[in-house]
Amino acid sequence: MTDYALEVEGLTKRFGGKPAVQDVSFKAACGEITGFLGPNGAGKTTTLRMSLGVISPDQGTARLFGQAPDAAGMDRVGFLPEERGVYRKMTAESVIVFFARLKGVPAGEARRRAAVMLERFGLADAAKKKIKELSKGMAQKVQIISAIVHEPDFVILDEPFSGLDPVNQSLLEQVIREQAEAGRTVLFSTHVMEHAERLCNRIILMARGRKVFDGTVDEALAQVPRQVTLGAPEGEPMESVLSGFGDLERTGVEADGAVVWRLTLKPGADAQQVLRACVEAGLKLTRFEPRRPHLHDAFVALVGEEGARDLDAPELSEA
Amino acid sequence: MRAIFLIARREYLSYVATVGFWLSLLAVPVFAIIGGAIPALIEGSQPTRYYAVIDQTGQNLDEVIRINQRAERREQARRMLEVLVEGRGEAVTERALAAFDTDPDGLGGLDAALEEADMAGARGLVAPERADAVMVDAPGSTVETLRPYLTGDQTISTPEGERPLFAVFVIDEARDVPLSVTYLSANITARELRNDVVSTLRSHLREQAFIERGLSPDEIDEVLSLSPSVTTIDARPNAAENAEVTRADRAPFVVAIVLAFILWVAVFSVANMLLTSLVEEKGGKIIELLLSTARFYDILIGKLAGVAGVSATLFLIWGGVGTLLSVVGGAALQSFDPRIAELLGSVFDPVLLAAALFFFAAGYLMYGSIFLAMGSLCDTLQDAQTLMGPVIWTLMLPLLFLFFSLEASDSMLVRAASWVPLWTPFVMMARLPADPPLWEVLGASALMLVTMLLVLWGAAAVFRQGALRQADADTVRRWFKLGGKKKSA
Repeated sequence: MTDYALEVEGLTKRFGGKPAVQDVSFKAACGEITGFLGPNGAGKTTTLRMSLGVISPDQGTARLFGQAPDAAGMDRVGFLPEERGVYRKMTAESVIVFFARLKGVPAGEARRRAAVMLERFGLADAAKKKIKELSKGMAQKVQIISAIVHEPDFVILDEPFSGLDPVNQSLLEQVIREQAEAGRTVLFSTHVMEHAERLCNRIILMARGRKVFDGTVDEALAQVPRQVTLGAPEGEPMESVLSGFGDLERTGVEADGAVVWRLTLKPGADAQQVLRACVEAGLKLTRFEPRRPHLHDAFVALVGEEGARDLDAPELSEA
Repeated sequence: MRAIFLIARREYLSYVATVGFWLSLLAVPVFAIIGGAIPALIEGSQPTRYYAVIDQTGQNLDEVIRINQRAERREQARRMLEVLVEGRGEAVTERALAAFDTDPDGLGGLDAALEEADMAGARGLVAPERADAVMVDAPGSTVETLRPYLTGDQTISTPEGERPLFAVFVIDEARDVPLSVTYLSANITARELRNDVVSTLRSHLREQAFIERGLSPDEIDEVLSLSPSVTTIDARPNAAENAEVTRADRAPFVVAIVLAFILWVAVFSVANMLLTSLVEEKGGKIIELLLSTARFYDILIGKLAGVAGVSATLFLIWGGVGTLLSVVGGAALQSFDPRIAELLGSVFDPVLLAAALFFFAAGYLMYGSIFLAMGSLCDTLQDAQTLMGPVIWTLMLPLLFLFFSLEASDSMLVRAASWVPLWTPFVMMARLPADPPLWEVLGASALMLVTMLLVLWGAAAVFRQGALRQADADTVRRWFKLGGKKKSA
């Protein structure tokens, strides 16, 4: 009995001589939610396909539940691929039952589970409707149900949030938590860091086909220098008071004439020390905002602005 | 096995559980009947052709043509009557024909003949009321005056009303030949009337030549009816000594070609089903979801099995209906003509049907897997059409051999074609009734089976690449363009 649902070691894949994935190793621990993050083209989908044995790696190995991927192992996996669609002429219920039965669920039980999950996803009224009659978001929810209806031990979701509206993204986050609470292992890929930040016990960051980070969310955030945004009237001796805490940079002037500064703290310094120094120096602060780092910042810190360009920045800024 | 069964079942139901499937199932016999009836419908709907003859020889040749036309019509009616009453036995046939011949110049004896055979309702079938062509008096004497009647600018009065002239024959004497005929018509493709009139004149000229040489009319008839008696004996190894070749003996050759043609249509249409199904799955991005729940081979075999089930359903229904009709109809017709039972027996030859099943399975697997592989490379049917060209041509060529194989099944070219593995299912099927050497049948079949396995293996490899978008229609085009060089990016 292994502690890991998935173990990959040195996975490498080239297409037409061009490397898509290079020497990627990681483990998805049983019962945890693991985020597989990176911008588009980072090699996430190819890595997941190799992990499941859908395509063969040029080098390296993948082990599902401690063994090479095989039919028995795949039956314990629920996979939602990035490139997804369902039979447009089938009803929502029959699609779910079809995929459940492919995974070995008896027909009657498959229908019962389909009804329960359609209800859970707010699609009870759409059960008998053909997929072509449903909205894109509703069809995507049917695909997600199809991936988990057989109650797999290991759920792999490739970009599950893309195409869903905020309400349904929130619903999907809840479903992912429920899967984990039920003792299942969840691995999902995304280029939107906010979901990973909220959901994951562990994250793997990918860029240009390589793994650039593997650890907890806190460990990733620790890679990011802390920053404080300060505001003070023109003429206040900000530099002399604060330069010892890190790099101070003037970033602009606010409508009331106050100057805005950004202080990037050096290792060991924290916002409390900065605030204390400002009070002791008698600075007339109009603004003091310690900035909470996000995974996006961690990613930028790890691969640079260029490497993080395709990450979904607008959604991050709302976090 | 579970995945194969479920995929096959879904594929099967996606066709069979649709109204369109049952409509198309019904459409085939309906269109077959319409197709079979088209020649008769065209002939029946063809208007009577009115023509004129201008005889400038002074030999009353227009009257010769008119008399011959009447005699020809009578002879056609007599032949049809003979065919219709033949099944009622020799005595009835003799009585009916004797009644018909009571009017040696016309159709005066037809009603009595039909009554003898108890077929009074068949008069329209034996002698249609309306003649195909009717001679009328020429409304002019020169080409210039007749032309407006031929183009429809002017019309002539007929029992049907005002009609244009279909044609004019101008017959004149000539220097080096007995007669010259000038044929005028606005319809330059219909040659039947022209040929009939020319044939009548040719016979008349020969009769006149015989008369000039002193032969009596009876002697002339005797000379003109001279013809060898032909007996066709079946000399095949298993045939009885001096056994004459009957329709039942020839039937398997025709049946084999019909079966080969049905195989061709079936293989082509079901392989197309596979292609469109996979293109739909690929374009609809279903294939990867499927690949995450089943293995490549499960999907490939499941799809092939599902669509094979569709064709089996078609064959079972058509075969069932066909057998039922043959048994019921055959039993009814047997009392009419006992030879029909013999003919039906030769049509339902179990060896031929078993061979058809074998060749269908092999052909379907070869072409089905090729079409599946092509489908996996395409997101749209438009993409697929660009790849289908060479395969369609490969499929079309054996059709040409089928047409010639009835007359020339021993031709070296037909024999060679039956060895081309992709054509073997059709061409060898058509050759079977000619008893080709066993080594040829076994050798070509073995080669076909080996090719089938290779095609399946290759198709699976292409399918694997195509389904996950690691190859597409452009890859194939590039491959052919660069002579097999690999994609560089």
